[in-house]
Amino acid sequence: MMSSLPASRGDDLDENGYSSATVRCVLFELDTEVYGINVKKIREVLRVGQIRKVPGCSSQVIGVINVRGVIVTVVDARRIYNLSPKTVDDDSRIVIIEVDDERSVGLMVDKVVEVRDIPESCVDLMADNRHGRSAYIQGVAHYQDNVIVLVDADVMFASSI
Amino acid sequence: MDEEILQDFLVEATELLDQLNEQLVDLENSPDDSNLLNTIFRGFHTVKGGAGFLGVEPLVQVCHRAENVFDKIRNQDIVYDADVADVILRAFDQVTRIVSELNDGVREFDPMDPGLLGELDAIFKGESSPDSSDELIEFSPPASDVEVALQLPDGVDPDGEISDDEFEALLNQRDMLLGEVDHQPIEPKLELPIGVDPDGEISDDEFEALLNQRDMLLGEMDSLNSEPEAIVKPAAPPAPKPAPKKVTAEADKPAAAPAANANKAAGESTVRVDTKHLDAIMNLVGELVLVRNRLLTLRSAEASLEDIANAVGNLDHVTTDLQASVMKTRMQPVKKVFGRFPRVVRDLARKLGKEIELELVGEETDLDKGLVEALADPLVHLVRNSVDHGVEMPDVRADQGKPKVGRIVLAAEQEGDHILLSITDDGKGMDPDMLRRKAVEKGMMDEATANQLDDKQAFMLIMHAGFSTAEKVSDLSGRGVGMDVVKNMITKLNGSIDIDSAVGEGTRIRIRVPLTLAILPTLMVSFGRDSYAIPLTSVQEIFDFDPDKTNTIDGQTMVRLRKKSLPLFFLSDWLTPGEYKDNRKGDKIVIVSIGNQRVGLVVDQVNGQEEVVIKPLGVMLQKIQGFAGATITGNGSIALIVDLPGLIERFQ
Repeated sequence: MMSSLPASRGDDLDENGYSSATVRCVLFELDTEVYGINVKKIREVLRVGQIRKVPGCSSQVIGVINVRGVIVTVVDARRIYNLSPKTVDDDSRIVIIEVDDERSVGLMVDKVVEVRDIPESCVDLMADNRHGRSAYIQGVAHYQDNVIVLVDADVMFASSI
Repeated sequence: MDEEILQDFLVEATELLDQLNEQLVDLENSPDDSNLLNTIFRGFHTVKGGAGFLGVEPLVQVCHRAENVFDKIRNQDIVYDADVADVILRAFDQVTRIVSELNDGVREFDPMDPGLLGELDAIFKGESSPDSSDELIEFSPPASDVEVALQLPDGVDPDGEISDDEFEALLNQRDMLLGEVDHQPIEPKLELPIGVDPDGEISDDEFEALLNQRDMLLGEMDSLNSEPEAIVKPAAPPAPKPAPKKVTAEADKPAAAPAANANKAAGESTVRVDTKHLDAIMNLVGELVLVRNRLLTLRSAEASLEDIANAVGNLDHVTTDLQASVMKTRMQPVKKVFGRFPRVVRDLARKLGKEIELELVGEETDLDKGLVEALADPLVHLVRNSVDHGVEMPDVRADQGKPKVGRIVLAAEQEGDHILLSITDDGKGMDPDMLRRKAVEKGMMDEATANQLDDKQAFMLIMHAGFSTAEKVSDLSGRGVGMDVVKNMITKLNGSIDIDSAVGEGTRIRIRVPLTLAILPTLMVSFGRDSYAIPLTSVQEIFDFDPDKTNTIDGQTMVRLRKKSLPLFFLSDWLTPGEYKDNRKGDKIVIVSIGNQRVGLVVDQVNGQEEVVIKPLGVMLQKIQGFAGATITGNGSIALIVDLPGLIERFQ
């Protein structure tokens, strides 16, 4: 299971003062919870511009946007995690996630906080049998008094390609 | 394996194999064409050379043997008849398979099916029976006292200069003779595993182990360019005869497995472009840069409106030309698709016992690379249909006073910005009355409706799902794609199908597709701020919505248009659900035709024509019915492109 969590070497020291393997994550917020996605999966973070609705699409999809000539689907992270809808404000961002070499998808989040290296030793991976609400969650990191939910971007979009 | 050399080899081999596919069938029709023979011989030789260099042993084995056979044919020792052709074509299929697996990233191959190699060798040795299982085992070694003498072709002065070709021929002769003589002293022995009684019964496993040993030795011997079969005989223990068949079956399985795992190259990922085209594009890009510079200077200086208009006009010209030039690089001759048909027709005709001549017309017509690939499957289906259902058996044809050999013409021509493809056969044709009856029998429509169909509409019935005219379904037709699938694929390409037929005279199916897939002329319509693009090829007319001209028949709103009632679809029900609109004044009706059906679409506003670049909808939106993609309009916003067949299904 560890191998599925791509690690990058960072300079951070873990709680025992030793340097260890870390995962560099982009942290974002939904309501009061902090979520993290491995930076390797992320191409860019965009401000919310004009989103074109697509009639008849699934309820998780907000619509499509034009990212420099490429049509990218925007998915509402709040819907994925069964949170109540929220109107777009100045803090809202679209995180562009690379699904594979050719396809990418936008994830609408409430607010992007920062990029941080999380030591692997702090990460509790979810059990293999993740059903229902725990879907798309790779694990939970307890780091510097924060609880960070690590999003499994691969699983999130693998089924919907 | 050196990847770079491998890629070069694959490009070359793929091209050669494409040509060979056609040439091999041509050769069957004109077995005496020595130029063709030489070309084929050289083709196999080149592939063998490359394969040998890269160490793809099975490929070398097959090509080597095929080359041997063609050498004999060239020397007129063997006639290239249908039986030989069958074996050669099977060998060719193996070559094609290995090359395409190499393309897919497979690098390890199992030894070639010994049965096929045996058959090739049997032909090479002039034993006409293609049944090979015995050949491998019961083989008498050639006499060792063959006189080794190379012969110059007739009419060549032995003291004169020798040409390259002649020299090569001599070398070949020598190789063959050496082959026959050389292997005599080498007598590699196959060894039974220790502890096995050589006189006792042999188990399947042991026999297979021996076969494997032999295959390995064959491989080694091949690289020495000697003739391998003689090795087997002296040492091979008496073997149960049916066994080789079993080996065949097993050899096939593991070969398929790695191919499935390997990365599939989606279509062909490279195109060859004439440098002339590239120069033209480069030149236009240069122009584009000049226009940009012009615009930049205009921005800084006090520019007059006229200067700006000039520059923009210039920009318009350059981009239009550039677009056309870039399009050209995507163009490929339709030959790419047509090339496979001689083989398809030949194999099928032979299987059915029919005699069919295929004529290809307009192979050099260029069309978009994407189209070439998309058209392949529907065309194969239509051609198979013509062979299977169209052309009659030779004796039936003779009874009707037709020539015994049936004729199928596959033609392509450019017609404005469309390509017209046609498949014409001189077979039995279709009876529109029979089709009408069939439609009633199948419950697709009542008798009155069926009788109202004109002949053309009756022919189009065969395009409906579940409508099979064949009395019995053979294993040749109805596999994979049906006619309805063909129709859907053509419609997806924004093309149309048209059928003409006369009983006893034949059938002609015509397909019209746009030259390119990437750019689509559309009609822009909008609902509020959201705009949608309807493919212009389907649009027939546009007029104002008038409630007085609509009727509701059986729950479906219809509009009267020149004494016909057409169904009306209110697109707003789908595109802006929940918004009820009671005043439809100012709405427009767009009449579109899809296949043989016409419907009216009610839209809020029509904005005019626009040529758009089709972009795929992103992740999670691929399966939505009714949209063919999206595009970015002149003002930078996104418009969705309507997929009419999907839309019709949605509303029905």
